[in-house]
Order: sequence, then C-alpha cells, then structure tokens
Amino acid sequence: MLTAHNIEKKRGGRHILHGIDISIEPSSIVSLIGPSGAGKTTLLNVLSGVDAPDGGEVKVDGEDLSNPSPQVAMVFQQLFLWPHLTLRQNIALANRSTEAEITELIATLGMEAFIDRYPNQTSLGQRQRAALARAIALKPKYLLLDEITSALDIEQIERVAALLEKLRASGLGILLVSHLINFAKRTSDQIVFMDGGVVIERGGKEFVSSPQKQRTQEFLRFF
Amino acid sequence: MSVFGILANYYPTLLGGLLVSVELFLSVSVLGVVLGAGFGVLGARNPVAGAVVKTTSFVVAGIPLLVLLFWFYYPFQSLLGILISPFLTAVLVLAIVNTAAIAELVRGVLTDFPKQYIVAAQMAGLSSNDIFKRIQFPMIFRQIIPSVLTTQLFILQCTLFASLISVPEIFRVAQNLNAVLYRPVEIYTTLAIFFMLVLAPLYYLAFLLRERFTRDFSER
Repeated sequence: MLTAHNIEKKRGGRHILHGIDISIEPSSIVSLIGPSGAGKTTLLNVLSGVDAPDGGEVKVDGEDLSNPSPQVAMVFQQLFLWPHLTLRQNIALANRSTEAEITELIATLGMEAFIDRYPNQTSLGQRQRAALARAIALKPKYLLLDEITSALDIEQIERVAALLEKLRASGLGILLVSHLINFAKRTSDQIVFMDGGVVIERGGKEFVSSPQKQRTQEFLRFF
Repeated sequence: MSVFGILANYYPTLLGGLLVSVELFLSVSVLGVVLGAGFGVLGARNPVAGAVVKTTSFVVAGIPLLVLLFWFYYPFQSLLGILISPFLTAVLVLAIVNTAAIAELVRGVLTDFPKQYIVAAQMAGLSSNDIFKRIQFPMIFRQIIPSVLTTQLFILQCTLFASLISVPEIFRVAQNLNAVLYRPVEIYTTLAIFFMLVLAPLYYLAFLLRERFTRDFSER
C-alpha cells in the first residue's frame, strides 16, 4: 500500500498541505478532486518522492519513500517528455517493458500514427497519452496521474478509462487527479475532496452525488 | 598589380600570416572551450564558483577587447617586470575572453536545466550516469553547440586585433604588404573575401545546428 501520514508541506512561506492522510491500496483507483490551488499536485509530488514533505511520512509497502522511484510512477501535469527523443523512445528508454508490451500499449492508447514523432510535433492530447504510456511502461506498483485527461477527446477518455480499469485489475494502485467528476466517479473506488491543503471529505464513488460537508456541496453543486 | 598577381607573388608571406592566425585561433579556441566548460560546470554545481563565473564574465564583457589587449601588453607586463611575447599575450587575452563567455554560457544552461526532466528519468530508474549520458548531455549539447560555435567565430574575428600588438597574423601581414605595394583596394578586398569565404559557411553551419538541434522544443 502507498500511504502518506500527516503530510505537511510549505513552499515560499506558504503552508500548502496541512496534515494530509491518504492511502492507495493495490488494485484500487483513488480520485483526488478539488479546486485549483487546493494542493493536489503538491500532494502528488510528495507521494511520488519528487518533493520531500516538511512533516509526516510516505511509505511504499511499509518502506520509506524519499526519492523518485520506478515503484511509484507519476504523470506530471506538464508531462515533461524528453524533447530530444521521439514518443516511442520516451516510452522505451527505461527498458523495463518488452518491445511486445510497448507495442501493445501503443495500440491500446491509439498512438500508432504519431509514435515516431518528437513531442513538439504532437498535440497536447497525444503527448498526454505518451506520458501515460511512459509511466505504465515502467511497470510501477503505484501510478499517480495529474490531470491526464485535460486535453483528451471523449473517445480517448474512454480508452484511458478502459486502460486504467485493466491496470487496476492487474494489481496496480492508482491515484488520479481530475477535474472530470464523471470520469472520477466512473473509474474510482474512492474519491477524496481537497481544498486549502486539507482533505475535506472522502468516500466511495456515490459520495459525489450526496456530499455531507458544505464546502464539498458548494464545489460539486455544478455537477 | 592585380589581386591574382598579389596572391601569386606574395602567397608565402600571406600563408605565413594565415598560419599564425590559425595557430592563434586554435590555441584560444581550445583553451577557451575546455576551461570555459570546466568553470561553467563548476559554477553550476557550486554557488560560490557560480558567483565568481558570473562576476568574471560580467567584468570581462564590460572591458573592450582592445583595452584588455593593450593593458596586458603594456601596463601588466611593466608592473610585473616580465616580458611576454605578443603572440602569447594575444593568446592569454583572447583565451580569457573566450573562457569567460563559454563558462557563463555553460553555467547558465546547466543552472536553468529543468529539474523535472531529471526527476522523470529518476522515476524511470535510470542511474545518475545514464541520466547524464542519455538525458542531460544530449539536451544541453543540442542547446549549447550553436552558441559555442558562434562565440568561436566571434573569437576568430577578434584574432585580427592581435595585429595591433605586432602579432604577425594575416591582417598584420596584409597591412605590411600594403605598406610596400600600396594597393589597399586589392589587398583589403581580398582579405574581406577570404574571411567571408571562411566565416560565412561556418555561420551558416551554426544556423543549421540551431535549426536542427535547438528547434522549437516548446510543446503546443
């Protein structure tokens, strides 16, 4: 299990995360929702070992996580595909998946037509899929996804949702940040609502239809 | 005497000047690139060294090359009571200018390298060595090589200033030849065409490298 206990994070004199507790079990999908600036990306950075917390601890299957590791792969909101490599080279660089597995992944995400292009020769949606494929090709135990559907069309979102379900079935634990409440509701076992650096409310997928806390109700009133 | 007549009659003299220019340029270029890269890496890794590189680069860029050249040729040697040949003085001064420029270039590119590309590579399980070889170096090399080449071409042009402290390089030889023949149009036009033939392809190469390697990496 990927667990974060009592996480505190400050940046530039601002207190971003206040005592966050969250856990992601294997074979489960947790969605993190909340307004912009709630601290979702900061939490993902801490959970992935990219940023050290100022308080609290992150553990992967009982072991402390202090640095980025292939066990916990993350797709950044800004993607950070290596610009001097083609999308295929980006996916294959780590050499943790076989060629057949990579070919299957490319087909699953419908990337055959542009896989040999450089990142700057592709659209944002194409790059999002490539970044997702790069993370999956690492064969991590846990996958952290920051807004990976923001530039995808309905068809691609369906592909990604089907892929996430397949990954969950294979034992992967997934934490997903998304502004698409329907997507979160459809794919997730648990949904966590964050605002102001704290977890306001969490529950099963049904909770987005009947939130208890006033702030959650306000946020979800347009849903 | 025509241009061809001058070239036919005085080519050993001109060739001698050209060889001095080439020797001067290669010495300055090798020293500047090697030392500049070293100081640049040091400056990116160590904040104190970084401040020294920045300040030195700022100071050197703020002094006209001619002033620097004359200062090292006359007052510097007079103050220390030493005698350095004009050629070595020119190498010293141009190498300082080149080193400062390359060091600041390398330091800036290394310092500004986006950390997230490295984080993504760490996440992919690449070793530090592999991260440098497969991510950092190719990205930095592509970004920096056109600027390094352009700087070297600037330095090549600057070697002409060495003529002012009596280094017998190509411009000095051309001046001496003109003093004897008094054919300024032919001599200086030949010199201009010669430099254009050497420099224009190299500037074009720098342009091509910039187009190819530092093409728009921004993601739309």
